[in-house]
Amino acid sequence: MKSKQILLYLLIFLSMGAWAQKKITGKVTDFNNSETLPGVNVVIKGNTSIGTVTDIDGSYAITVPNENTTLTFSFLGFSTQDVLVGKQTVVNVALKTKVLGLDEVVVVGYGTVKRANLSTAQTTVTSREIEKTVNTTIEQALQGRTAGVYITQNSGQPGGAISVNIRGVNSINGTNEPLYVIDGVQIAGQSVSSGAQSSSNPLSGLNPSDIEDFQVLQGPSATAMYGSRATNGVILITTKRGKEGITKITYNYQYNLQTPPQHLQVMNLPQYAQMVNQFHAIAGGDTQAEFMDPSLLGPGTNWQSELFKTSAMNKHQVSMSGGKDKTNYYLSGEYLNQDGVAAGSGFKRYSFRLNLDNKPREWVNFGTSLSFNQTKEDLTTSQENLISNALQLTPQVPVKNLDGTWGGGDLTNGANLYAPVNPIAISNLVTNNNSRRQFVGSVNMDLNIMKGLTFKTSFNTNVGYTNATYYVPTYSIGWAKNTIATLSDFNGMNTQWTMNQMLVYNKQIGKHYFDVKVIHESQESKWKNVSAGRTGFLTSSILDLNAGDPKTASNTGGQGEWAMESYLGNVNYSFSDRYIFSGSIRNDGSSNFGPDNRWGLFPAFSAAWRVSKEPFFKFPLMNELKLRFEAGVTGNQGGGGIYSPMGTGASQWGTGFMPSQYSNPALKWEETSTLDGGFNIALLDNRIQLEFDYYQKKTSNLLMSNPLPYYMGTNGTGAVNSPTVNIGALQNNGWGLTLTTTNINTPRFKWESNFNVSGVKTKITKFYSNAAIVDRTSWWMNSWTQRSAVGQAPWLFLGYVEEGLFKSVDEINNSPVPVDNSGNRLPTNVDNIWVGDVKYKDISGPAGVPDGKIDINDQTYIGNPWPKLFGGFTNTFTYKGFELSVLLTFTSGNDIYNYLAMVNSNPNNINLSRNLLIHAMDYAKPTTLADGTTGLENPDTDVPRISYGPNGNQTRFTTKWVEDGSFIRLKNVSLSYNLPSTLLTKQKVLSAAKVIFSAQNVATLTGYKGFDPEVGSYVGRDTNAGNQAQGLDYGRYPLTPIYTFSLLLNF
Amino acid sequence: MKNLKHLYYGIVILLPILLLFGCSKDFLNRPPKDAIVDAGFYKTDAEVLASTSLLYNKVWFDYNDKASYNLGDFRAGTAFSAYNDRGNVLFNTTAENAENGASWRAFYIVVGQSNLAIHNINTYSGSGVSLEIKNHAIAEARFMRALAYRFLVMNWGDVPIIENNLTLLSDTSIQRNTAKSVWKFITSEMRAAANGLPETPVAEGRITKWSAEGMLARFYLTRAGVEAVGGIRNQAFLDSARYYSDRVIKQSGRVLLNDYAKLFLFPYDNNTESLFELQWIFLPDVWGTQNSSQAYLAYSADISEGDGWGGDKSATWWMMKQYEGFIASGDTILKGRTLDQRLKATFMLPGASYPEITQTLNGVDQKMVFPNNTADVTFSSIKKYVCGKAKDMGGQASAQRYSQDTYMLRLAEMYLVYAEAVLGNSASTTDATAVAYFNKVHTRSGLAPLLEPLTTDMLFKERIIEFAMEGMGWYDLVSLHYYNPLKAYSILNEQDRGLFAVHPDQFPNPTEWTMRKTAWNTIDRKIKAYEGNFLLPIPAAEMSQAPNLRKPAVDYYNK
Repeated sequence: MKSKQILLYLLIFLSMGAWAQKKITGKVTDFNNSETLPGVNVVIKGNTSIGTVTDIDGSYAITVPNENTTLTFSFLGFSTQDVLVGKQTVVNVALKTKVLGLDEVVVVGYGTVKRANLSTAQTTVTSREIEKTVNTTIEQALQGRTAGVYITQNSGQPGGAISVNIRGVNSINGTNEPLYVIDGVQIAGQSVSSGAQSSSNPLSGLNPSDIEDFQVLQGPSATAMYGSRATNGVILITTKRGKEGITKITYNYQYNLQTPPQHLQVMNLPQYAQMVNQFHAIAGGDTQAEFMDPSLLGPGTNWQSELFKTSAMNKHQVSMSGGKDKTNYYLSGEYLNQDGVAAGSGFKRYSFRLNLDNKPREWVNFGTSLSFNQTKEDLTTSQENLISNALQLTPQVPVKNLDGTWGGGDLTNGANLYAPVNPIAISNLVTNNNSRRQFVGSVNMDLNIMKGLTFKTSFNTNVGYTNATYYVPTYSIGWAKNTIATLSDFNGMNTQWTMNQMLVYNKQIGKHYFDVKVIHESQESKWKNVSAGRTGFLTSSILDLNAGDPKTASNTGGQGEWAMESYLGNVNYSFSDRYIFSGSIRNDGSSNFGPDNRWGLFPAFSAAWRVSKEPFFKFPLMNELKLRFEAGVTGNQGGGGIYSPMGTGASQWGTGFMPSQYSNPALKWEETSTLDGGFNIALLDNRIQLEFDYYQKKTSNLLMSNPLPYYMGTNGTGAVNSPTVNIGALQNNGWGLTLTTTNINTPRFKWESNFNVSGVKTKITKFYSNAAIVDRTSWWMNSWTQRSAVGQAPWLFLGYVEEGLFKSVDEINNSPVPVDNSGNRLPTNVDNIWVGDVKYKDISGPAGVPDGKIDINDQTYIGNPWPKLFGGFTNTFTYKGFELSVLLTFTSGNDIYNYLAMVNSNPNNINLSRNLLIHAMDYAKPTTLADGTTGLENPDTDVPRISYGPNGNQTRFTTKWVEDGSFIRLKNVSLSYNLPSTLLTKQKVLSAAKVIFSAQNVATLTGYKGFDPEVGSYVGRDTNAGNQAQGLDYGRYPLTPIYTFSLLLNF
Repeated sequence: MKNLKHLYYGIVILLPILLLFGCSKDFLNRPPKDAIVDAGFYKTDAEVLASTSLLYNKVWFDYNDKASYNLGDFRAGTAFSAYNDRGNVLFNTTAENAENGASWRAFYIVVGQSNLAIHNINTYSGSGVSLEIKNHAIAEARFMRALAYRFLVMNWGDVPIIENNLTLLSDTSIQRNTAKSVWKFITSEMRAAANGLPETPVAEGRITKWSAEGMLARFYLTRAGVEAVGGIRNQAFLDSARYYSDRVIKQSGRVLLNDYAKLFLFPYDNNTESLFELQWIFLPDVWGTQNSSQAYLAYSADISEGDGWGGDKSATWWMMKQYEGFIASGDTILKGRTLDQRLKATFMLPGASYPEITQTLNGVDQKMVFPNNTADVTFSSIKKYVCGKAKDMGGQASAQRYSQDTYMLRLAEMYLVYAEAVLGNSASTTDATAVAYFNKVHTRSGLAPLLEPLTTDMLFKERIIEFAMEGMGWYDLVSLHYYNPLKAYSILNEQDRGLFAVHPDQFPNPTEWTMRKTAWNTIDRKIKAYEGNFLLPIPAAEMSQAPNLRKPAVDYYNK
């Protein structure tokens, strides 16, 4: 009986197999954590018209024709898997995350290419990596992720400015920031702007959560596609788009706790009082009565505790994406609110994005990307130098007086009028807001004319509107009085559009593959600013010009425009995926040049040989070996200079006009030709991948303001500015290495690493004359100077070499000392050079050799702000639903000038009622020793004596304050946990849930003594692109630890 | 192959479409939208005059800002700052000194803009410009350039003469020119300017023939020393100084104001004594065409528009000793009062009242009285060019922005130049005109006329008092130094530049003051001037970027 039944069933089954269909069900999970995967495509191999997608639980059901059917399971980020159905009715599949994206398609300039066939240096950072770190702005997400890209956060201020340098320094006067291409919209990186909003960041409007991936184009053949705008490298940003399948709704909430920096050790009130007493004993003057016995005093105000507070950052992000009936969409909204750890800073952003793709007919495709954002920044901390003021304000000043008014230096508490103004008061009183609204949008259409031939056209635009309000009310804080309330209101508008037409043809003929593009592009950009101001506000409650005194009204305007037209031809050819060639020529015409030099040609060529594809290649361990070589020319078109505009000025006879700049009608392109060689190796089935590049970039016809001597009348108020010329040359040699490994890969546990390291050396090879120099001088910081000169890296620190302190009169008499203007030694006595003064090294003299005199000839380069090595190291561990990711970033070999420490350990400053670092209390104390000679009471100190003498103890910049800026930082540790599906299946609302705990900037290993070694470029009041210091720390807004809880829900 | 054929068709069809999008020729032609370019300017008389009007203010801004008093008064020892600008106060102006750099650059900005004005007017002005205006504007530029070179040669000695910057944009071989040839250039340029300028100004405040001839009088007096032989000044140049000063006194139509204090009482601009002044103008948000120096000179925000950073600036002890009426007792005390009205108009003493200035004390506005202070260090703050708050200047002021003009040449100097030119190389003179001219200046200040023979020392002292805080004292010392360096050093080296206190006998309404040197301030009271530090070193940054300046100077006319 039993056997009959079996036979019957078998017959039925066989007959079904012969002609009937079969229903298969199953579940798709993640190989590494067994979590279910919704949205996986399941199709029948060879007949893709039959297919389905997995539902919220990762389940699917599909009817297949027969047992011989093979099902293909594909999902973004995972390796595609094929399963022969056979006799099974339940097919469960565990997909492995894609190890190597060799088959993955990556975005390149004006197109896409299979990663394996990339013949140029290009690195990728994906959303998966971005989402592990806390990023307020998009550039932060790139830090430590890719070789060749040196990123420094110039300010820890919320939303603050960041420097991104790709492959070294490429410009002396112009910007070094790369070109950003966001879904085809080209946005040039900007250098620091000047004025009350100089610490703000123009790219801060973009929401990092919307980004699918970054492609960092570094090689010349990739960047040359962007011709004249690409010398500083190109960062292609692709935002997320919808995919055919079920609608994904996600909500992400992030709560961050930002903690204050570790305090610098400054004097407390008793220590301060003690030093005031000592100072008056040496230099004369009266000590106030309360300070006579410091032991009776309390600790005084701790200004660092007052300024820095633990603060929160919240982010809500909702997105919805999906696709049906040939229409895919991605819609997202974000609200971010970040309070700064220092009073007087904050950042808010609202952003919205809609990306739509529609394919109404087989031969046409439409795409739209629309994004709108609004940001609002509070810039008071940086612009009013609150951090350095907090460190310098004396502890005897209270935050608030007993009567509730703001505390300040005055007669009552004895702090004199040089004491800084109460930073807490300023952060409350001053309003410095910067609001931006930005619309970035593009529409494109692809017409498939015939198989392989496509015509694409796109139009995109970037419209920005900025409004900045800067208001300083009247106040009276101790000595500090502001008797006039001023409001300035700035409005700026910029628009840019680009139109692009492209003809693409690709064809596979046997083993030959061709891809040919012809492109025409035109772009135009315009800006217009209006700013206005009034003074005499009687109340601070209405911040509008109308509330001010009309008689004081003032205003300025300004506008400009720029246009460019380009033609581009590009051919890619590969033979059998083994020999890969790419060549392009771009011809750019820019309005920045006169008719004779308007058009520039930017050719590039690259070749790659995938040795591993050769029949003779028989190394079972090595599955990929690719050798690459590329060469190309990129350009820089600067900011104009062919005209001599007449500047205006006021005169009693009406507007006066004077030329404001020498014109240079012969101005032409700056050209950078780059050679790049590299290789890619993959071992053990892609588990170890190594990529290496070495490059040499030579920039000639460097566009710069001619560094003319002062006698040409080109420096200062009313000057005719120096002409923009093509006279310099510089060179960058560098390398980059990326090692990606999968160390352990088992169903339960996975460990992946990414290590990247790069080095670059920049050298200026030519200027107007060999003696010509370009200085960046910060007049408000004792004229701190960084110099660019032929044969050197740009912006080296200028100063003296310090050889300790003089410990005896004999030592002074036997050493070179500063001289008077006629070159005679300054005398050895208390008023001039004395024991306890700084001893400088005699480096050179007018004849080029040491001359026994310390003078200007002994200034030398005492520091280099650029690192020798920098990189990042990421380790990701996955165990079941847990994922632990650890990111280390490092830089090595750069110098920092610790200006803050220099000023705050100058014992003379005690006379200015300024608090100092505790270290300053150990200032050199000359005394008569037992043998009757003069020596130091504390011979081991390195702080000079109290003296205003001509030795310039703490006013000359010396090596003592040049510190090694190398550091290794535990940038981010994040632990995420996917709630198991067993929990989630009990309800119908949530399909996945994930919680993430992370800590950012947790620990930094460095020898640097300031708040934070990641100093970058100076931003703050008085900075502009022409004087911006590099690697100088004067109370930079530090990066501090951030602890994050984040919740990600999929519905 | 069939496919390729399709491709050709496709391209043939699509290329025109692609080309359709090609842009018109003008697409890439984008001249500035917010400024006129040079070639489109200089087309009318009004435009040509507008192209030289900023030579009266903006190009001098960096000089006037702080360098004017740092070099002209601090170095001369007429005034000092107790805690700031110490290099200049202590006569140790180094190659790195900020005002050294600022003034070097400023004078070469005057040179550069003047050169460009001359070049552009000659190149771009067309038939729409009258010959008279064209010549006038070129003469203005030559006047400014010559004056800038006078400052350059007197501060730095041998300096490069540049007449056309455009030819030097890629030249690194220019050398310094000898001071002697620079002086020749300056005087011949100023003569050319005098020829091109009208006797009456084309607009109030514009320079005239008399401005240029007044400068010639000043220049020839100095040049007589430059070309001195064995300490004897060149008589021909002394005669020229006498000739030009006499012409200006007699023919310019300018007259002395009868009250010295009125020279600096707002509004004093372009008064009858003025021959040339920097024409500052106030606008709330315009930088570079305003007078900023009050911000650094005014002793407190109490009397200024949110600035007033000059609390530690003061007359020196030496300066106080120049005023008649203060009796020395020992070396450390001066006591008394002076009839010389120039003291009150130049420096403030406790109890002195300045009703024209509003003073805010404890939030209340009142007419200014200089406060009293019993400490052992007080300051005789700067009054000259300090005109108060916006409300004292018809609203024409805000922080660091003031509108009062800076005198560059006034008639009083012509009287003193005449007297000195007559005195010449003699020890003294009783020449009636010289003595009368001297007394015109001397008695205006409330002092009794001089009846004795006039000596060089009297003239020097008169100039110091008359022009204190006008950035003049230093240049008087340089003029002296050309033919008698030892005397210049001895004047400087005997000065006391240290701290002292001024206390009134009663407050308010004092009748006399006692000045006492601050006992504990023993260092840096005196300076040491000598050949080695007398002139300024060329700024260090300039020397390193233009090593050609190290080469020996050459004669401009005999290269």
